[in-house]
Amino acid sequence: MAETPSEHGKQQEPGLLSKIVRLLTDNDIYRSFFRTGYPDTLLKRMAVMRSSFVMHILPTKVGTHGLKLGYTWCMGGITFFLFLMLTLTGVILMFYYVPEESRAFTDMKDLKFMVPYGMILRNMHRWAAHAMVFSVIVHMARVFYTGSYKAPRQFNWVVGVLLLTLTLLLSFTGYLLPWDQLGFWAVTVGTNMASATPFIGFEGPFSEFLGVRIDNDIRFAIIGGTRIGANALIRAYVWHCVALPLIASALMVFHFWRVRKDGFSGPL
Amino acid sequence: MSELNVAKSGYMLSNKPDYPREPSWPNFVWIVFLSMLLVTVVLWGISAIFDAPLEEVAAWAKTPNPAKAPWYFIGLQELLVYFDPWIAGVLLPTQIIIGLVLIPYVDISPAEQGKYSFSKRKFAVVYFSFGLFLWFLLIAIGQWFRGPSWEFYWPVIDYPIGGESWTYPNVPLKVSEAQTVNVPNAIGWPILFIFFGGGMVAPYIVARFHQASALCARLKDYLDRIGLVRYLLIQVHVLLTLSVAGKMILRLVFGYKYIVTTPFFNI
Repeated sequence: MAETPSEHGKQQEPGLLSKIVRLLTDNDIYRSFFRTGYPDTLLKRMAVMRSSFVMHILPTKVGTHGLKLGYTWCMGGITFFLFLMLTLTGVILMFYYVPEESRAFTDMKDLKFMVPYGMILRNMHRWAAHAMVFSVIVHMARVFYTGSYKAPRQFNWVVGVLLLTLTLLLSFTGYLLPWDQLGFWAVTVGTNMASATPFIGFEGPFSEFLGVRIDNDIRFAIIGGTRIGANALIRAYVWHCVALPLIASALMVFHFWRVRKDGFSGPL
Repeated sequence: MSELNVAKSGYMLSNKPDYPREPSWPNFVWIVFLSMLLVTVVLWGISAIFDAPLEEVAAWAKTPNPAKAPWYFIGLQELLVYFDPWIAGVLLPTQIIIGLVLIPYVDISPAEQGKYSFSKRKFAVVYFSFGLFLWFLLIAIGQWFRGPSWEFYWPVIDYPIGGESWTYPNVPLKVSEAQTVNVPNAIGWPILFIFFGGGMVAPYIVARFHQASALCARLKDYLDRIGLVRYLLIQVHVLLTLSVAGKMILRLVFGYKYIVTTPFFNI
C-alpha cells in the first residue's frame, strides 16, 4: 500500500504499487468522491475517519488492545453487519411476499421455484437471522467476561439487553411469515405463553378478578384474535418489517454513539 | 481517567480511559472490512448448501406432535415441564431480562475491566456462566431430547438421528412415562420457606463469624461493600436461578411435579 507516515517525505523512488495508488487517487474524480486525499499521512488518516460519512461511525483513533481479535471476536460489529444483511435481503423478499393467508405460503413456493435466486435469498435471510441471535449472545457474553459493562458503560449494557430482546422478537415475528406448519405452530406455542400472564392473560392466575377472557386478554391483543389467523399474520408482518426494525435502529444508533463516546473498554 | 473528570466537573465531560491508541486507518478499517467479507462469504456458502426449512402449509386441523418453538425460545418451552405457564413463560423471562439489566448496577467492583479475568471476580463469572449453561441446557433438552407429547427421548436409543420420525419402525410411540407426584403442601411450604428465607439470611449469618474464619471475613467485607439493596437484588436472582436448577433435578431425577399446590397456582 502507500508509505507509512514515518517514511513519508523521504526522497526515494516510489514503487509500482504507490504509482498505481497515486494514479487512482490523485485526480479530480477521486477527490470529488472523498473529502480527503488518499490517507497516506497520519493527519490524513485521522481526517479520513472524521470527514467521511461512512467512516465516522468508527473512531479516528482506537485502543490497540481492542484491535485484538481474541478480545472482541468482532461480535458486536458482526451483529450489526448481519442486521444490515437482514435489512437488505428482507427488503428484497418484501417484493415477492404478500402477508395474506391464502398467498403467503404460495409466495414461499414461488421464491423456491419461480423467483431467480429466490431460494438463496430466503436462505440468507433465514441463516443470518439465526446467526444474529447467536452473535448477540456471544457479544453479550464477551462484554460480560471482560467486565466491559462497568462504569461508565452501565447504561449501554442496558440498551444492549433491550437490543437482545428486540433481536429475539424480530426473529420470532419473522418465524410466522412463511405460513407453514413449522412457523404456525411455533408461534402458536409462543403466544400461548402470553395467555398465562398473571392478571391480564385468560389462563393466568388471578385473571378472573379482572374479567379477563379469551377474547380480551393480552394474547388477544398480540395476535388480533383467539387463535393465529389473518390478523396475527399482518401484525407479525408489520412488527417484523417496520416497527421492530425502526425501534432496533434507533437503539443501535444510541448504542454505537455511546460506544464511541466511552471508547473501547480498557484497563483502568 | 474517568473518575478524575467526573470529580472535577461534576458530570462526564470525557470518560475515555487512557490506553495506547493508534489511528483507525488502516488496521481497524481492514478488520471491519475483512470480517464483513468473511461473514458474507460464509453466509452465502451456507445458504448455497442448506435450504431454509419449509413445511406444509399452516393448518389448524393438523397439530404436529411435538410442536416446538424456535430454538432461542425452546428453553422457555422446556421450562413449561417444570413450572406453571405463568412462571415459565412470563415470570422467569421477565426476571432474566431484569437480572441482566441489573448486572452493571449491582456489580460495583471497579477491578478487572477490559480484559478476561477470573481471579478477581469469581462469583460474577461463575454465576453468569451457570445461568448461560442452564439456558443452553434447556435449549438442548428441548431441541434434541423432547419428542411426541414432550416425552423425554434419547437420541439413537429412542429415535434415529437425522430421521424424520421419532421412533424406529414397529416401535410404538412412548406412552407417558412420567410417574410424577406432588410434594405435600405440609412439606412443600416449609421447603420453599427455608430455601428462600434461609437463602436470604444465610450469607449474613455466615458473615457473623468473620472473626473465626478468613473466608467469613471476606464475605463480611463483600456484604459491607455492596450494601443491603444490592445484596437483596443479587441474592433473589441467585436463589431463583438455583431453584430452577433444583426444580429440574426434582422433576427429571425424582419425579416430583409440584412443591406446593394452591387453587390459583402451583410451584
